[in-house]
Amino acid sequence: MSMDKSSQGSLQSIAGDVLPTCSAACPVHTDTREYVQRISKGDYEGALDVLLEVNPFPSVCGRICHHPCESKCRRVAIDEAVSLRMLKRFVVENTAAHRIARRKKAVQINSDKSAAIIGAGPAGLTAAMDLALRGYKVKVYEKDTKLGGMLAHAIPRYRLPPEALAQDIEDILATGIEVHFGSSVGVDISFEQLRKENDAVLIAVGLSESHSLPIPGTGSKGVFLGVTFLWDVANGLCPELGERTLVIGGGNVAIDIARAAKRLGPKNVYMACLESREEMPAWKWEIAEAEEEGIEILNSWGPKAILEKDGAVRAMEFRRCASVFDAQRRFSPSYDESVTNTVEVDSVILGIGQKANLDFLLGSEVSVNGGRLTCDRESMATSEPGVFACGEVMTGPGSAIQAVGTGHDAAKVLAHYLETGEILKLPDKNTINIGELPAATAAKARRLDRVCVDLTDPAERIKDFSPIEPVYTEEEALSESRRCLSCATGAHLQFPNHCAGCLTCVRICPFGVAQVRRTAFMPPQECQTCGLCAAECPAFAIEVLRFPTAAMKKSMVENVAGLDLERVARPFLIAYCCVNGTTSRKYLKDQSAGEIMETGVLRILVPCVGRLSMADLVSPFELGADKVAVVSCPEGACYYPRVEGWLERRITRTQRYLDEIGLGGEKLQLFKMEGSGDESWTRIWERFRAVNLETAVGR
Amino acid sequence: MIVADPKPFLQVKGYLEDFQKVLVVGCGTCTTVCLSGGEAEVQILASGLRIAFGKDGRKKTILEGCVQRQCDLEFIVPVLSQVEAEGIDAVVSLACGVGVNFLADRLGNIPIFPGLDTTFYGANMQQGLWAEMCAGCGSCIVAYTGGICPVARCSKHLLNGPCGGSEKGKCEVDPKNIDCVWQLIYDRLKRLGRLEDLRNLLPAKDWSTASDGGVRRSAREQLYDVK
Repeated sequence: MSMDKSSQGSLQSIAGDVLPTCSAACPVHTDTREYVQRISKGDYEGALDVLLEVNPFPSVCGRICHHPCESKCRRVAIDEAVSLRMLKRFVVENTAAHRIARRKKAVQINSDKSAAIIGAGPAGLTAAMDLALRGYKVKVYEKDTKLGGMLAHAIPRYRLPPEALAQDIEDILATGIEVHFGSSVGVDISFEQLRKENDAVLIAVGLSESHSLPIPGTGSKGVFLGVTFLWDVANGLCPELGERTLVIGGGNVAIDIARAAKRLGPKNVYMACLESREEMPAWKWEIAEAEEEGIEILNSWGPKAILEKDGAVRAMEFRRCASVFDAQRRFSPSYDESVTNTVEVDSVILGIGQKANLDFLLGSEVSVNGGRLTCDRESMATSEPGVFACGEVMTGPGSAIQAVGTGHDAAKVLAHYLETGEILKLPDKNTINIGELPAATAAKARRLDRVCVDLTDPAERIKDFSPIEPVYTEEEALSESRRCLSCATGAHLQFPNHCAGCLTCVRICPFGVAQVRRTAFMPPQECQTCGLCAAECPAFAIEVLRFPTAAMKKSMVENVAGLDLERVARPFLIAYCCVNGTTSRKYLKDQSAGEIMETGVLRILVPCVGRLSMADLVSPFELGADKVAVVSCPEGACYYPRVEGWLERRITRTQRYLDEIGLGGEKLQLFKMEGSGDESWTRIWERFRAVNLETAVGR
Repeated sequence: MIVADPKPFLQVKGYLEDFQKVLVVGCGTCTTVCLSGGEAEVQILASGLRIAFGKDGRKKTILEGCVQRQCDLEFIVPVLSQVEAEGIDAVVSLACGVGVNFLADRLGNIPIFPGLDTTFYGANMQQGLWAEMCAGCGSCIVAYTGGICPVARCSKHLLNGPCGGSEKGKCEVDPKNIDCVWQLIYDRLKRLGRLEDLRNLLPAKDWSTASDGGVRRSAREQLYDVK
């Protein structure tokens, strides 16, 4: 649901119920804006904290999440979405030590109630961790010897290397859950016994088996079931494929199968699906990457028969699929039998969908209908008291992060049941988001190229299962993080009683979004956070939430208070630098008093120096600075339109004022970066310090 | 709106040579809007004073404040209390002359100095630019001049213009920046279809409603207590 454009949404409401579109789209509502902003400030550890707040699988998601956050990123109105998944991956791969240091430890079991969880996929493990951290005894039953469910067994290593999954799992295991490996419920322990031994049972078995096809020839040698195939591949058992391999299916699992098959050596790998190209359920980027690897996709064909010779696959016969869905958009394929096609192949892998194995429920009271577990989505309850379900067995095929979300929900539901013996109906999941970026605002915003990485060359990557995507370098991550619009953290009338309604904000706003409705109003969903209005407001009534200059001034005062001004290297330079110039966090770190005194430079990083007011430019001299440098982006590179011009005029005004008060306007200078800040700042500072060395205020 | 311009810094600094503890107080209405006396200007002036006196080797305490309007008692009461409570030696007002006077009347033995030169009643022409529109003469004649005031906007305040200094619609006093108001009046009356009005010469104006009649008061009957 979008916020009504005409409504006076305040930033308070945005911070509360109204979410940025990225967070609203994420099944666990990751505070995307916050972690990206932390990256941009060089606080990668803080970014990891934000990720782990709601998602125990950030390493997995950094690799394979289908990133609904990106699909809803408001930046698409300007150019392209921020590459959020890649930023997440950068965070987890650069904070390993912090992750271990902050790892949650097992809490004392504080309840005599226990829960059994069947299945250790993302849903089951998330629920287990949440319950363990609430002090319940949790036992997880996993039929396999590895944890992670489909993440461990069905996602090929070139997308998700086992060490990424292991990083997440180690965190989860540290919370003290008891895992029974290789313990298949219904075989090694009966479902009824689980119920007897525990106060609640959570079914999180996922969809672990492939559907077969009701066509002739599926029993032939050379026909594989998709999930079994992927399991074998993941466990290093190489299924023997012929030179020509055909994958049936058009979803993401089918793509994984085809790409994994390609890496096993067949000369030709085909995919065939009912859907037309546009209708294919696989993600577009997955399809593109598969085609790069030489996989040929045959669209709009329905399987008719697998033809065999001497019991082995010889060819696949197809009939034209005329339509996949009926008028109500339900899956109901219709065929044109007059159009057929036969493709000669040696192997066929069925990737047409999965189902749950619920055999362990046979003979129990838990209701299963047509192979599907009966489960109420709101309460996650099955037909039996104390038996709940989460993950794909409840939702049907979905994503890892969706499964994590249902795991969190399941923990809430189970905890409630364990405490009260009652069912908890989960509240409505609909969130209110701030809506798309208005086209008129987007049209005025500067376009910034998305930072893309080059995947391994297709010819190389099909040779083995090595990961194909490099992680962002620090420079790339910082650059990409700065593309985030930091939606709804812009200018805001902090002191309404100071506002005289003078219209300066309206006249100066480069995006044309500021209004005066008796007092200033900057619509949070439109403001682009440049801070120009705050800098020019004659009442200092406006603050930019993303970077309040009042807080900046306070920290500058504190920094200087910690110095022995008699011993600071002179001339003492306070340098305001645009944070957008950093390519590492070298300059994003706090400076020690010793460093400032030794170098004679106190740097203050500002996300666009255009937001510095005239008072901000004068006040460093009061604190004892001999010179003040303002270092902006290179000529023409400012993220915001018109800000450079206003900054130059403000500097000129301030220089004249400094002349007037007898200090000398030349002590304030505006510089433009030459290349990155890391490359040019020290040079700029030193050059400026070297000019007219005898200057010193009040001495 | 009342428009006022910042005084030269050294002039303001000069007023304060003999005082140790100074309060710079802004006004949150007209002078905030004309970008000369709001919170921002208070901070900039106070900061400048501290730096300049510090450079002279004289440490003074320069305090900052800003009220919604310096021309209403209720708003300035906190300023008066602060001056007394904190032992302030002198006040600099960044209001128009009205605020300075109003405070001066109530500050007892504490001196007050203007930080601004009050200039005119004007309107905003563009960001950072204002022009005079009204002279506050006390008997408005613009009903006869198309809503445009020759008292305020004619360099000679002519009631029946233009004079010979009008050329191509501009006033000879400053042809680049000043329109001839009688040209504007002519054009406006023409558009209104009322050029005939110009035949009725305006009689000599009674200036007693302006400052010539002595200090003016304005009363709303029944809305104030007659003493």
